[in-house]
Amino acid sequence: MTQPAIRAEGLTKRYGSTLALDALELTVAPGEVYGFLGPNGAGKTTTIRLLLGLHRPTSGRAELFGLDAWRAAVTAHRRVAYVAGEPYLWPSLTSAETFEYLANLHGSVDGEYRKLLVERFELDVDKKVRALSKGNRQKVQLVAAFATRAELLILDEPTSGLDPLMEVAFRETVREAKDRGQTVFLSSHILSEVEALCDRVGILRQGHLVDEGTLAELRHLASQTIDVVFEGDAPELDGLTGVTVERTGPGELRFEVSGSPQRLLETLVRYPIVSLTSREPSLEEIFLHHYDGGDGRVGG
Amino acid sequence: MSAGSAIARRTLAESRVRDACFAAFFLLFAFANPVGYRHTYPTLAERLAFARSFGTNKAVELFYGVPRDLISVGGFTAWRFGGFAAILTAVWGLLAGVRALRAEEDAGRQELVLAAAVSRRTAYLAAVAALAGGCVLMWLAIFVGLAATRLSAGGSAYLALVTVSPAAVFAGVGSLASQLAPTRRIALELGSAALAAAYLLRVVADLSGGLGALRWVTPLGWPEELRAFANPRPAVLLLPALTTAVLVTTAGTIAARRDVGSAILRGRDRAEPNRRFLSSPTALAFRLGRGSLAAWLVGIGLFAAIAGILSTSFTTADISENLREQLSKLGGANITTPAGAIGFYFLLFILAISLYACAQVATVRREEADQQLETLFALPVGRRRWLLARLGLAAAGAAALALTAALLSWAGAASQNAHVSFWRLLEAGVNCLPTTLLFVGLAALAFALLPRAATGIAYGLVTLAFVWDLFGSLLGAPKWLLDATPFQRIGLVPSQPFRAADAAAMLAVAVVSALAGVQLFARRDLAGT
Repeated sequence: MTQPAIRAEGLTKRYGSTLALDALELTVAPGEVYGFLGPNGAGKTTTIRLLLGLHRPTSGRAELFGLDAWRAAVTAHRRVAYVAGEPYLWPSLTSAETFEYLANLHGSVDGEYRKLLVERFELDVDKKVRALSKGNRQKVQLVAAFATRAELLILDEPTSGLDPLMEVAFRETVREAKDRGQTVFLSSHILSEVEALCDRVGILRQGHLVDEGTLAELRHLASQTIDVVFEGDAPELDGLTGVTVERTGPGELRFEVSGSPQRLLETLVRYPIVSLTSREPSLEEIFLHHYDGGDGRVGG
Repeated sequence: MSAGSAIARRTLAESRVRDACFAAFFLLFAFANPVGYRHTYPTLAERLAFARSFGTNKAVELFYGVPRDLISVGGFTAWRFGGFAAILTAVWGLLAGVRALRAEEDAGRQELVLAAAVSRRTAYLAAVAALAGGCVLMWLAIFVGLAATRLSAGGSAYLALVTVSPAAVFAGVGSLASQLAPTRRIALELGSAALAAAYLLRVVADLSGGLGALRWVTPLGWPEELRAFANPRPAVLLLPALTTAVLVTTAGTIAARRDVGSAILRGRDRAEPNRRFLSSPTALAFRLGRGSLAAWLVGIGLFAAIAGILSTSFTTADISENLREQLSKLGGANITTPAGAIGFYFLLFILAISLYACAQVATVRREEADQQLETLFALPVGRRRWLLARLGLAAAGAAALALTAALLSWAGAASQNAHVSFWRLLEAGVNCLPTTLLFVGLAALAFALLPRAATGIAYGLVTLAFVWDLFGSLLGAPKWLLDATPFQRIGLVPSQPFRAADAAAMLAVAVVSALAGVQLFARRDLAGT
């Protein structure tokens, strides 16, 4: 039986009177690319700090490869590489020296791959870290982490300072890691990135995991959008259960359908239609659904 | 000027804890000297004897400068408080200047300020106004401390002004260094070098017969020439006033012209990789700290050599047994023999090395605040081993400093044919370690329990212990209360025997608190800023 790369059971963290993380249940299988979504302050970084044994759970436990994240942190970290959200490094070292140091501490590095990554991310390795912009320091962290070829990559908003070209390089690198069977835990609030890369997604809100699943599963739960253009004026089509209607033009209607669209389609065939487009909800819509719905507040 | 006053208030608020500590220290220091003098030398005869033995003593002039009048309470205070406190107010000025004008920028906050509707000129003048406010606070603390001892109000106000004048000059030095240096640390190093040079000039001026005129070129010599409570020469105040004005204006001109975040002395941004000392966190800590260790070694070495050379300047000739006893209250030792004088200086080396130890723990804390530890402990690096190694590195640095003090004070003494045993001085070096390690241990415990306050606690403990050692006896505190400070429990080797039991007790506390610190650190959450 293979151990999950990450497992959290009832993982809870309080800071004083603030409940930062509330009974998180999480399993990430080896080889999976897991997207961890949530607005600022939802508890993403707290979760990562608990997974890395930097902070201690108030209750519950976190495991990496079956090893207790707090007690066996050092052993577990031999199989992990981490990219911190804020790229704090050692300002007086150059990138090349930083790579050397981090590789010495980690114990393993793929030198050839690192060279390739340095080129891909267009890094000037002789420049001192203090002279680098935030985005470039982020790239130093990314290159160092991916070059370890660690079994598990924990990335905390890794692309927050990157330009669009580097975002492309990042996605390519994550796909390579996935192809090699590495596990990636990607915390992010860039939805398109998660949508493009992740097999499964968890959505965190105020310390709770409010939704989790593959993109297909999440979409299944959310509504889909159907835009219809009629010949002439659009008919009155209110009163269908599970369907909301919005008039978007003189001969145009937009239907938000939750569940099966069967009934709506049966109704529509009776009218002259010019075009019909059906669109699955984007991750953004699923995300907003979770933050907009419930108590009616938008998270963030 | 509402934006300007907001910046000035913010600048003052940022440094309120440090300013309050310094002000309290100056107040107590100013108060203790006249009180202690009256207590220790109540009669004219005793004061005359004191003046005879100290009036020409080079070893004491090293700290306090040249005395002008040792018979009156005011004259004694001007010498013993004014001479030494002038160095300390200069330290405060330098720290305050760099904090106000580089630390903010170093942290990236200056961009936010200047992005608002605030001109560079306003921002700079606001910071200078805050510095001036700090100087006024220090002046007030000293004035209150002096005046509370029944010294004349006018005389106290003047001595306070004299003592604060180096603070203004070195706040100016700090402002200028902040324009030259790209980081807070480099600015502090530049300013410290200037301070060391000023101090060395004063030492040379005071100690050498013919070079007294050199006092006029060092800001630390001016307070002596201002001659508080002797025959005051207020016109000399023009020197610090003009120097401060020139420094502040120059710095302001540069600040108005340069790019935010840049500096005149731009460090190299590129370098060929240097792969040495990258094998472990301890190796890197050594690499990053070796420059500062070298500066400490040079500073303490130089001072030890001078102390050794001056160790023969005390003579036993005209010091009565009674006075000798009284003297021991000032420095804790019989300083009329070379060994005694060196023993007295070692008390100061122990203080300096303890402060070095605090700086090491402060570095460890800064690495945590800067979240470098988060990157580090996400790697396969164990926290216990890491902290133990760092404490070991601090102890090794302290040992190197102690050894340097021992060797160079021996060399200095030997150059004057003073008969001080080499082995006894080596013992004096070793004797530094229990106390310094005690402070390492306590600082480690503070780092584990109260990370955000740890740096302040570490420096505070050392300062408090030393100040209490200095003033507690002057103020006639009972023995049990005096013995609370580790500095009272040090045998002043080489003139006094090594106090093995006390040393063992300090080492035991050091080891227990260090181990407890390591254990507790491994069990707590990492704490950001």
